[in-house]
Amino acid sequence: MSTTTAPAPSAAGTPAPQGDPTARNRDPKRRKRILMAVGGALVAFVFVAPYLVMVLDSLRTSSDVKSTPPSFLPKVWQWDTYAQILGDERFLNWLKTSLIVATGSTIIVILVAIPAAFMTARHRFPGRGLFLLVVLVTQMFAPTSLVVGLYRQFFELNMINTYGALILTNAAFNLAFAIWILHGFFSSIPLEVEEAAALDGASRWQILRRVMLPLTLPGLVTATIFTFIAAWNEYVVALTLMIDDDKKPLTVGMRAYITGYEQHWDQLFAASVIAVVPVVILFAIIEKHLVGGLTAGSVK
Amino acid sequence: MRSTKQSVVVAGLAIAGLALGACGGGTGAGTAPGGTAGSTGEEAKTIKLVAAEYSKDHTKAFWDAFAKTYHDKTGYTLEVQVVSWDNIDQQSSTMIQNNQAPDILNLNAYASYAKDGLLYDSDAVLPAVVKDDILDTFVKYGTYQGKFYGFPDLSSARAFFYNKTLFQQAGIAAPPKTWTELEADAKKITALGGGKVGYALPLGPEEAQGEFSMWLFNNGGDWKTDGNWVINSDKNVATLDFLKKLADEKVTQNNPARTNRADAFDLFKSGTAGMVIGFSPLAADLDKDKKVDYAVAPFPSNDGTESKTFGVTDYLMAFKKPGNEKAVKAFYNLYYTPDQVNTFIKAEGFLPVTKSGVAYFSNEKALQVYLNTLPNAKLTPTDDPTWDKVKLAVQQNLGGAMNGSPKATLDGLQRTAESGG
Amino acid sequence: MSDSTTVSPGPAPVAGSGDRRSRMPSRGGRRRRAGRIGQVHPLVALLWLAPALALILGVVLYPAIKLFDASRGEYSITGLRKGDAGWDNYVKVLDHPDLGTVLRNTVVWVVAVVAITIVLSLALAQFLVKSFPGRRFVRWAVIIPWAASLVITSQLFVLLYDYNYGIINHVLLSLHVIGTPIDFLGDDSWTMFSMVVVGVFVSLPFTIFVFIAGLGAIPDDVMEAATVDGASPWQRYWNITLPLMRPALMIATVLNVIYVFNSFPIVYTLNDRNPGYLHDTTITFMYKLAFKSQEHDVGMSAAAGIFNVLLILVVVGIYLKIINWREETSR
Repeated sequence: MSTTTAPAPSAAGTPAPQGDPTARNRDPKRRKRILMAVGGALVAFVFVAPYLVMVLDSLRTSSDVKSTPPSFLPKVWQWDTYAQILGDERFLNWLKTSLIVATGSTIIVILVAIPAAFMTARHRFPGRGLFLLVVLVTQMFAPTSLVVGLYRQFFELNMINTYGALILTNAAFNLAFAIWILHGFFSSIPLEVEEAAALDGASRWQILRRVMLPLTLPGLVTATIFTFIAAWNEYVVALTLMIDDDKKPLTVGMRAYITGYEQHWDQLFAASVIAVVPVVILFAIIEKHLVGGLTAGSVK
Repeated sequence: MRSTKQSVVVAGLAIAGLALGACGGGTGAGTAPGGTAGSTGEEAKTIKLVAAEYSKDHTKAFWDAFAKTYHDKTGYTLEVQVVSWDNIDQQSSTMIQNNQAPDILNLNAYASYAKDGLLYDSDAVLPAVVKDDILDTFVKYGTYQGKFYGFPDLSSARAFFYNKTLFQQAGIAAPPKTWTELEADAKKITALGGGKVGYALPLGPEEAQGEFSMWLFNNGGDWKTDGNWVINSDKNVATLDFLKKLADEKVTQNNPARTNRADAFDLFKSGTAGMVIGFSPLAADLDKDKKVDYAVAPFPSNDGTESKTFGVTDYLMAFKKPGNEKAVKAFYNLYYTPDQVNTFIKAEGFLPVTKSGVAYFSNEKALQVYLNTLPNAKLTPTDDPTWDKVKLAVQQNLGGAMNGSPKATLDGLQRTAESGG
Repeated sequence: MSDSTTVSPGPAPVAGSGDRRSRMPSRGGRRRRAGRIGQVHPLVALLWLAPALALILGVVLYPAIKLFDASRGEYSITGLRKGDAGWDNYVKVLDHPDLGTVLRNTVVWVVAVVAITIVLSLALAQFLVKSFPGRRFVRWAVIIPWAASLVITSQLFVLLYDYNYGIINHVLLSLHVIGTPIDFLGDDSWTMFSMVVVGVFVSLPFTIFVFIAGLGAIPDDVMEAATVDGASPWQRYWNITLPLMRPALMIATVLNVIYVFNSFPIVYTLNDRNPGYLHDTTITFMYKLAFKSQEHDVGMSAAAGIFNVLLILVVVGIYLKIINWREETSR
């Protein structure tokens, strides 16, 4: 799949026949690459610009954020906002919750989705289609519309204000996507691979662990990042279920910076920057696997 | 139809799987379900407070310290949950739906809760000395059907803020005393150009009822008189007509109907707006920024008669739960000691709710303007449960008058109020 | 890895699986293979599926039943349940004077955001699979709106759009595109547009990456054959690329419809200053019914929530019809 995208000539306009590397048409080629790089920079700018404003705003004083006329650069560069935030125990607690919940949800989703996807992709049994339909239907639900019910459920389980409640919720609502992606991957593995292992006397678990899982690594990566981001950014359920301040995740806790009575825009945006950075780094690290993972999932 | 058949099967499976599902959820639970505290008659040793977050740095710090003192002095334990104002309505509603009300709830309304029979009145949980100390105005507005339920935690009073620099530039010598003067001053400030705003008028959904209260009280109007709703009285219609006129003359900021209070404050804090109705937290922000040279004055009345001030208080209400009476009473006993209540109010930058508090703050120069007016402040009819809904209707509909008919808008609100919300 | 290596194949097994997928059009062959996949006893299968079932039924279905229960109760403004309401809450929702506006907004919101997102993403994905210097960084940049939570992004855009302090108005004014600032969020003719822009902005990253993956799965030989046949780039795109992208398009459309339909923070935050339901979608309508409006009625809100679920189920039904569910799962 990589090679499709490599050679540029098949793109727009320039009718540069391949395999004719004369000096004359190397120049337009280079010009085109430069033009594309400029285009790329423009695209990147559009996506980054709003967040650039966010970073700049986090370095202003709060009153400078809302001053007229607005200025592009801070009047005073106020770097210690970040130190303040990182030294704030409440913020660190919110960060901790977000990390625990996102990690926990991701682990559960992966652990639960693997056997389900493996079973449905590689085996036939009555009710298989039904199970996949149920999974698909779950995908359609958003926790937002069920939040009242969720509160009741976790209240009955005495789990209000626990990481467990949030982890289970995020896991349940992101499970469908993970099963889907992994199902696609497992289905695509040649049967011979499995048969060879079975001939060696491996049990179903061993086949899954030793043979199948290594082959679905990109799918696992994709499912992981999806769940992690969804859980990291979840807002409505956490708002309702997590009442104690030190149990709130970042998305909910950060509202404390802006109340009806006072607004700390600098702190809000500094906290936001800190909340975004880990996810972007995570993304950057596994971006190439992500592309591979989506491929299998998308050829459904 | 294949798909219908399938969905029937899904439903069937869903129901069949319910039991299984409930078990599955349960395995994740660390603690055993059930066991609601205090469901028997025995005395509660731990009570729960749900408090609204006034400021990030002070509210939680105060209540945490308070809980410690409370435990040391009384032996009871106080669980504190600090909730942002945006969500406290949702939180409290969800808790009550699940029969899981806190013991003490801090909110800006109480009458509906009293009406639903959820609350203790002062006879049960408020020490008599404390009740005597609370300012009469607040006792009056905290009383529903002859009983005092709405115990105030802190208060604020609105005052008129003006930008001295802009007044000087526009050649205005003194703050306006009448609405005619206010209108003329607003025109002069707007005429300075550069996007300057004469009067910042927030009629957006956040606090439309607050802004309008200040205006209508100073035109001799009210929401309710002698137990009857008078929202669409001639005086109130004239008041809203005047606000529409200000907006039409473009001496307010752009789109007052869609401007929330915080946005109006921002305009004043950035030196763009000449006048705004503010309160003590705004003053604290202005003093911190030191960007705007401002002064505070009584809000002008329409005809130049004595200014009325609009006061606001929030409540600490006590929920009836078996066995929690003593702990709750101990809570109020401690909260209303001058050390506690005044410390809280001072940190948050608000105004006292007790007579001893007024005395305590009397040497604070910056608060004089508000303190003088506080004992005679007029409140919205918070003692009527209907108001809890009327308030929401006002927030959602009042701004509509800026692009429509003030009379029709107020007629609609009057109908809402008369039909019980 | 150098920039020119493009959509990287990753470790060998991955490339293997990817290549296999890309040979997809031989449906018949796949089905034959599928027939040889092992039969298992339903109980064994159940054992493997149990954790997933428990999670789905316990944390998705059970709350849905609780929601239904709430929708049949009569509630006080405080949240106290006063009794049973039968179907009254449903009637009240259907009778709500603003229901028509809300439904229209929902359709406009979902269709506009999804359609614009898909079209833009197709173009951007086509661009991002080409090789050029710095492509890697462009891809990282594209990811950011996905990585930032909707709550943060919405809050940020409120400030960017601001009438007085917003950088967008500031830039437009400085460039003399406009003479007076635009009230992006308070002017009724602009509000939906402004929300759609943000909706598209945050939906792009995911969609672009799905399409990049989809483009990567198109076999090279097909393209090369077409090029040799002398098909113009546009013809190649229309006749080969798009049809082969059908699965990716389908996934992107459906997932975006779901995400956008259920999107709460954008509409709620950007529409914060506007009274009434003029720009609300069914999701924010549901929330406001319970906590912000003069109705302030949990039961009514729950009924609206049930309608939301039904609406989404209709969408599922249509989706299943389109992708021909039976065939997809029976292979």
